[in-house]
Amino acid sequence: MKLRRVIYLGGAVLIILVVFTFDVIRKSVALEVGGLSTIRDVVILGAFVLVYLFLESRASSRSQTPIRTLGSVMVATLIMVVFGIGLATMGASNFDSKNDILIPIDYATIFVASLAGVTFGTFAVVTFRSLRDLVMFKRKKATRRNLLSFIAFTIAASGSTLWLNPLEENLVTTLLLALAVIGAIVNSFRLSWIVYLTKREKIFSLIYAFFLLIGFIVLDFLISQNVAINQALLYHSYPVKGFVSMVCLFGSTYFGMAFISTLFHLPTAEAFDRKTSEISSLHNLGRLVTQVFDFSELVDTVTSMTLQVCEARSSWLEIIHHDERNSAGPAQDSAGRPYAVQIASKQNISQEEIERVLSLRERTLRDTVVEGRKTIVIDDVAHNVHFRHVRKEKIPIGSMVIAPLVSHNVVMGILYATKSVEYGFFKDDVDVISAFADQATIAIENSRLIKKSIERERLMRELVLAQEMQRRLLPQVLPHMPGLQIDALSTPAFEVGGDYYDIVQLDDHRLGIVVGDVSGKGVSAAFYMSQVKGIFQAISKMYPSPREFMIHANDALLTSIDKRSFVSLIYAVIDSASGILILSRAGHCPMLHVSGETVRFIRPSGMGMGLRGGDLFAGALEETSLQLALGDVCIFYTDGITEARRGEEEFGYDRLLLAAQQSRTGSASMVKDHILDTVRSFTDHEASHDDLTVVVVKWLGHGTTTKNTN
Amino acid sequence: MARTWDNHEEYELTSLEDAFMSEFKIAQRETNNVHVLELKGYLDAHTAPKLEEAFQNLLQSERYKIVVNCKDLSYISSAGLGVFMAFIEDVRKKQGDIKLTNMSPKVYNVFDLLGFPLIYEIFNNESDAVKKFFEKAR
Repeated sequence: MKLRRVIYLGGAVLIILVVFTFDVIRKSVALEVGGLSTIRDVVILGAFVLVYLFLESRASSRSQTPIRTLGSVMVATLIMVVFGIGLATMGASNFDSKNDILIPIDYATIFVASLAGVTFGTFAVVTFRSLRDLVMFKRKKATRRNLLSFIAFTIAASGSTLWLNPLEENLVTTLLLALAVIGAIVNSFRLSWIVYLTKREKIFSLIYAFFLLIGFIVLDFLISQNVAINQALLYHSYPVKGFVSMVCLFGSTYFGMAFISTLFHLPTAEAFDRKTSEISSLHNLGRLVTQVFDFSELVDTVTSMTLQVCEARSSWLEIIHHDERNSAGPAQDSAGRPYAVQIASKQNISQEEIERVLSLRERTLRDTVVEGRKTIVIDDVAHNVHFRHVRKEKIPIGSMVIAPLVSHNVVMGILYATKSVEYGFFKDDVDVISAFADQATIAIENSRLIKKSIERERLMRELVLAQEMQRRLLPQVLPHMPGLQIDALSTPAFEVGGDYYDIVQLDDHRLGIVVGDVSGKGVSAAFYMSQVKGIFQAISKMYPSPREFMIHANDALLTSIDKRSFVSLIYAVIDSASGILILSRAGHCPMLHVSGETVRFIRPSGMGMGLRGGDLFAGALEETSLQLALGDVCIFYTDGITEARRGEEEFGYDRLLLAAQQSRTGSASMVKDHILDTVRSFTDHEASHDDLTVVVVKWLGHGTTTKNTN
Repeated sequence: MARTWDNHEEYELTSLEDAFMSEFKIAQRETNNVHVLELKGYLDAHTAPKLEEAFQNLLQSERYKIVVNCKDLSYISSAGLGVFMAFIEDVRKKQGDIKLTNMSPKVYNVFDLLGFPLIYEIFNNESDAVKKFFEKAR
């Protein structure tokens, strides 16, 4: 890339030098070979093509704004004007004209002519490129065609002079020049870039265009009317002179048009600026809607954009908090239910000022917006009924827009904008404020949803944690005891549940087995469950009699349990040596005893724990003693088993009894698995709606080696 | 809560039915100053608040003689049982009572397992329960 540029520039310089040398030789030797001057002209054109290519390869690295292009052309033009005038006043070029051929008088003339040719030519190339950029700005289909036609005519006109002597005229050339002029005028209407300038840029553009117009007119005049420059250029290269004069002509028409056009665009510049900033603000706000997590940043952006776009004096945003219970429908507002107002963001106004502005009568105005859900415009605050106090307070507010943020037919906030002048808000201001309010609604809604889902996620994590904690409250490893086989399973219906079972080794041959169910479900049940666990662990070893244990556990529980909650518990103490089982039941499902062919529920009397204390509970509580036979199975469970449902039908006690009977010869785990499988196939694997627990104990008798399964 | 006793029953029914078109319903009657709640369907953790509201309304209007007819009650969970426990003390303090009647064997079994017959009087039919209030009054 770099090498190519060196070649371009080096080539151009070399050609210029060669041509200059050729001119000097031609002068001294009076060389006159036919066609040689044509070749010379072609070579010079080639030099400028190289200059063009050089510039082209340079400019690709950065893009110019129209106003910058204009500025740089102006600087170049002014330099050229100074240069041209200098050249004209020096009058250094002296030629003899003979048979339409210019003959320089001295070597200095040749040098001046070469200098003028190269400078004007390069200037023309630079200007041409800039003009091309301006014309092609926001191009349309015809733009390129028009420009190319102009270039074609210009080149053709220049080219047609290749075979002419410097002072010759030709009809074809004149015709082509005329077409090129028309092309220049047509292309001068391509001024789309002016529209997109900001007001400030338009003022600059106006000044630039004015100087450019003057500059090009001067240049046009110098090239065509000043003998010295005219002849110098003609001598150097007729085609280049044609190109230069055409570009200068194009320059003057184009910048003339640009000057006029900018002048006409100036009055609407402000409106255009505003529209542009409205669009970009809405765009930004739209983007913000999907991005912003920070609520305060969001509302601040809304108010500051309102300020900016409408050139408002102050702006603020209020969030309306409806009473939670009333948020369901819009009817509540008209019923005059209270709502809380929170100023979420304010610009250029203090809390006190807002309160003063909105004091007293405005209360009804805010109500009007909340109820009517429509934007309100107050053109003359001082003479509005709601604001009679404002003038007295000397708050400089002339006009005001109040736009509601409506979501699901409920006003969730209000956006205010004020101006110090009366009638300050036009229709498009109101439209844009309403649009902001709409965008803000979406954004606020969004940010609330995000907040909600984050909160939900947090709760879910907490619940998973609670589940893990609760799982640890259940026995992690079932105790080993010779002569006994034990297996158990407990699954909560939700993340956490109220089912509880525990097994403690009371001494070397006795095991305490407890199964319980806390009323209700979910988190509250889980709390009581952990409390029961604590009580059981604390006092089960102190009171080896199940009945005693129950009475004391009930006393402990009564002090803390809510009166609508209770715990059902069944507690059995099994002596692995003697096979004696002592059972007490506090409102819990009866134990299922499988002994050979006989299967029966053992149901000593007793009421739920936490219902009543003292004598009523103790009086109702029985203790049953049972001698187990070898291979007897005892099944403890919660109502999740018996109340497992398929549609309206419950699993019930009979099916449990049957399942126990079917599997009685198997190990404790087989019995447990069979019961659970039966329940699951009964419910058709529907998600159970209750916690579910089974504990199975099988007595294998004295000294039997046991294989406990967990 | 500003409403008169005259339209109380009507209000109660509509509000409860509107609130939850689910599997649990409460109808309310009054005979000789004894208030009868007829329960229908499934009384579990989801529907328990309805029964709770019904009890609350009775207590707020100082009606303490309550009979709960469980004729059409097909299921009661522990949360449902808890509702009865929540109000029984307050009611009895005011010399009233909550008596239960017409339970299906299955529902009775749930009450019985937990020892509720020790706390509540349970009758086979509603008139016996209503009569019991007047025996006491005499």
